[in-house]
Amino acid sequence: MKKRTLLIIAKQFCASVFKSKAIYLLVLTLVVLLVIAARSGVAYYDQNHYRIDHQQMARESWEGNPDKHPHRMAHFGTFAFRLKHPLSIFDFGVESFTGNAVFLEAHKQNVVNFSEASFSTGLLRFGELSMAMVLQTILPLIIFFIGYSAIVADRENGTLKILLTQGAKWKEILFGKALGLSAISLLFCLPFLGTITFILLTEEHVVQDDWMRFAIIVIAYSLVCFILSFITIYVSLKSDSSKNALVKLLGLWLLMVILVPRTSQAIGAYFYETPSKVEFRAAIEQDVLKYGDSHDINDPFFKALKDSVLQANHVKTVEELPFNYGGFLMSKGERISANIYGEHHKQLLDQYRKQNQLTQWLAIINPFLALKNLSMSVSGTDFESYVHFQEQAEDYRYKLAQKMNSLQMKYITPNPNDKTKGSQVSRDQWKSFSDFQYTQLTTEAAILNVKVSIISILSWFIFSIALLVYGAKKATAI
Amino acid sequence: MSLYLLMFRQFVRTRICQLGLSMVLVLGIISIFIGKQFLDKQRATAAQVAETQQEHIKRNVDLHKDDLGLLLYYLKFAVVNDVSPLAGLSIGQKDINPSVQNVTILALEGQKYDADLVNPATLLFGNLDLSFLIVYVFPLLVIAFNYNLLSEEEEGGTWKMVSVMSVHRWRHLFTKMSVRAVLLFGVLIILFIIAAGILGIEYNLAFSKIILTSMLYIAFWFAIVAFIISLRRSSNFNAVALLFCWLIFLILIPAVLNNVIVNKYPMPEAFTTMIKQRDGYHEKWDTNKRETVEKFYKQYPQFSSYGFPSEASKLQWLWYYAMQNLGDVESKEESALLEAKVLKRDDVSQTWSMLVPSLHAQLIFNSLAGTGMENYLDFLNYTEQFHEKTRLYLYPKIFSYNKAEGVDWDRFKPEHVSFEAHITWSHLLLPFIGAIFLLVCATLISFRYFNS
Repeated sequence: MKKRTLLIIAKQFCASVFKSKAIYLLVLTLVVLLVIAARSGVAYYDQNHYRIDHQQMARESWEGNPDKHPHRMAHFGTFAFRLKHPLSIFDFGVESFTGNAVFLEAHKQNVVNFSEASFSTGLLRFGELSMAMVLQTILPLIIFFIGYSAIVADRENGTLKILLTQGAKWKEILFGKALGLSAISLLFCLPFLGTITFILLTEEHVVQDDWMRFAIIVIAYSLVCFILSFITIYVSLKSDSSKNALVKLLGLWLLMVILVPRTSQAIGAYFYETPSKVEFRAAIEQDVLKYGDSHDINDPFFKALKDSVLQANHVKTVEELPFNYGGFLMSKGERISANIYGEHHKQLLDQYRKQNQLTQWLAIINPFLALKNLSMSVSGTDFESYVHFQEQAEDYRYKLAQKMNSLQMKYITPNPNDKTKGSQVSRDQWKSFSDFQYTQLTTEAAILNVKVSIISILSWFIFSIALLVYGAKKATAI
Repeated sequence: MSLYLLMFRQFVRTRICQLGLSMVLVLGIISIFIGKQFLDKQRATAAQVAETQQEHIKRNVDLHKDDLGLLLYYLKFAVVNDVSPLAGLSIGQKDINPSVQNVTILALEGQKYDADLVNPATLLFGNLDLSFLIVYVFPLLVIAFNYNLLSEEEEGGTWKMVSVMSVHRWRHLFTKMSVRAVLLFGVLIILFIIAAGILGIEYNLAFSKIILTSMLYIAFWFAIVAFIISLRRSSNFNAVALLFCWLIFLILIPAVLNNVIVNKYPMPEAFTTMIKQRDGYHEKWDTNKRETVEKFYKQYPQFSSYGFPSEASKLQWLWYYAMQNLGDVESKEESALLEAKVLKRDDVSQTWSMLVPSLHAQLIFNSLAGTGMENYLDFLNYTEQFHEKTRLYLYPKIFSYNKAEGVDWDRFKPEHVSFEAHITWSHLLLPFIGAIFLLVCATLISFRYFNS
């Protein structure tokens, strides 16, 4: 393969593309979409301000509490607001379908509420326009459109024969056109990546790590541009008329981008049923009751617990204990119920993961899906990033409840007649319990979560090159 | 007639026809089963609530029979928004917005927005219900079947023969298109019949409106195709132009509109309501009891005969439930703002959908199936009434220190409600008829123009 011939053919392909007027229409469409997507992305991300403000508002009212019984504070509780990752400007992922705020209180794991979808009118189900969406959905269509006739049109009008008789090799022709098409598609990507770079540079919350994530995005999208260009040229080579090439590519797009992802996820959800909130709660309640009911004075489990505590401290009644028994009892109860909840929640998440499994694995044969999964995960807007938030919120809730229980054990009098300890705790304690601080999933974890997709994109890259090499061997000019 | 049958047979033999129709049938049957599963799940949840409520009340009554105030701290009462079988056709928002509310008589704001448990990834990819098939996939088939209706004959050279041999060459095109329309409408009706059987849909006005909406929507796509054909360009041009139309109507316009609505009407009120409700209730623990109860009596003067609690007493249920109620009262402003904004969002999407048939069809499906936003808002409002009704029945019993046996617990069976969709004929028909009319006019003009 001569480099010079390759470059001439690539250049010639690009020049011919830019000769047609249609290309400028496409550029214009893409620019308009980019502007809309970028503006919405930034506006979506700006919702973080509301969340930071409300986190602060909740904190202020937490700290503003006077001296009081710590269990009052355990019920006063606080809130956790989910903050968006800066790269969510680029890829919205599942963000609009995940809850954004959760009330954290003792004894009870509340649902993360107020997702964008719950306020939506059904319009949201048509999808959202993000920069990632344009690159994943619209750009492939444009690549197909520009490249479908690349070989077959030359064959139809006889240029191919001339090229071959002039000494060009099939490999040079195919790879030359494929590289030309790739160059054009990368050119289309460029304004998107440039816009994101600009936004990230001006955004104050961006850290080193986010640039690394962005680099992965750049590589992944570029590779997919190559893959799609190579496949387009191959299909063009293998079709007997340009109309056939176009229809095949459009059909491929519809199948891979629109129908397969939705169908596979729907089938996954069909076969792995998940409980509704009511069922989920009822199952947890059942399990908690199996342990015993701490409100029932005759409950065997809690009676045995009390007896063993009294025995260990060599006293006869709970009033004589050196600590507040109510606080102790609740800390036990909290641990039991949190464990049971954790167990059920884990089962629920595993069931969700099973639902997602089919779509995850289909990424192997569907590079579009691979790109989608990878892009979401690296942008911190995928399912696992959301689970990460839920886990942190529950972790904080548990710590808060247990902190209040330990304050109760330590500072609240076990005996109403004994005045050495009071029935309240100083408000300084509220301040010293630090606020909920959300940390994003680490980049390593985000990458590991989508290893199937990464392998898929790399293999597709190699496969698409192999496809052209194979095509070159079998190609005929007529 | 025999010519018509011939054309019919000819088309049925093509690969695109066989492939397209079998794909839509397979997807259609999958989607109906998904709808069935959805309905079953909704019904199972409702049944479970009915079953557990009895037991839940009984268990707690046994535990706290002497303290009604404490008992009602734990007791939950369910209200069920009955799901219409039509929801199996168009799941809409029903997957996130729960159709069962299980509420205590404590402050409501913290309870009523509780979302259902859902897998966000499934929501992202969307439900594969019959409405998706009609809104997304049928137009694709209309395009695939018709894009080369004329250009194929022109490119193959048969159009000249048709022109020479027949004076009614436009009728020839029309017949070809009608063959395809008959097939597509036939498949659509078959799917609806299967759906009615599997989902247990009775034939009623709402169902016939759904069928009519589907047919008009598909007719709208035939009109688009007719217009593009009338431009008399190549097959390739037609394919690209029609796919572009599809992209515009099903992906770009809805997505842009959604982005605009989300950004124009953000919902910070949701967060504020949540915090205010909590603070409104909790602050009362540390403030004057008399003031709290006074505020409560302003709300419900009928209870003022219960007097005021002494500041020194530790806990009095009257005061406690007054505090809870004030949590709701003090977050009312934000809550109303929140509801107004949701209504505004609904309003804006309804208005815009009049111009975009794809949106219009989907929103009509959701409304008729009772799975849209307005149905959920109705349900939330009903929950509020239900909550108040329950509270007002129980308050005097708590305040006069009744024991659990003083309450008729049998009356607390889960309550079932359902809401009618109000869709006028003109609202349903006008957007489609308007769009089809415009397209047909444009087609006729362009045929005449390109023919002369």
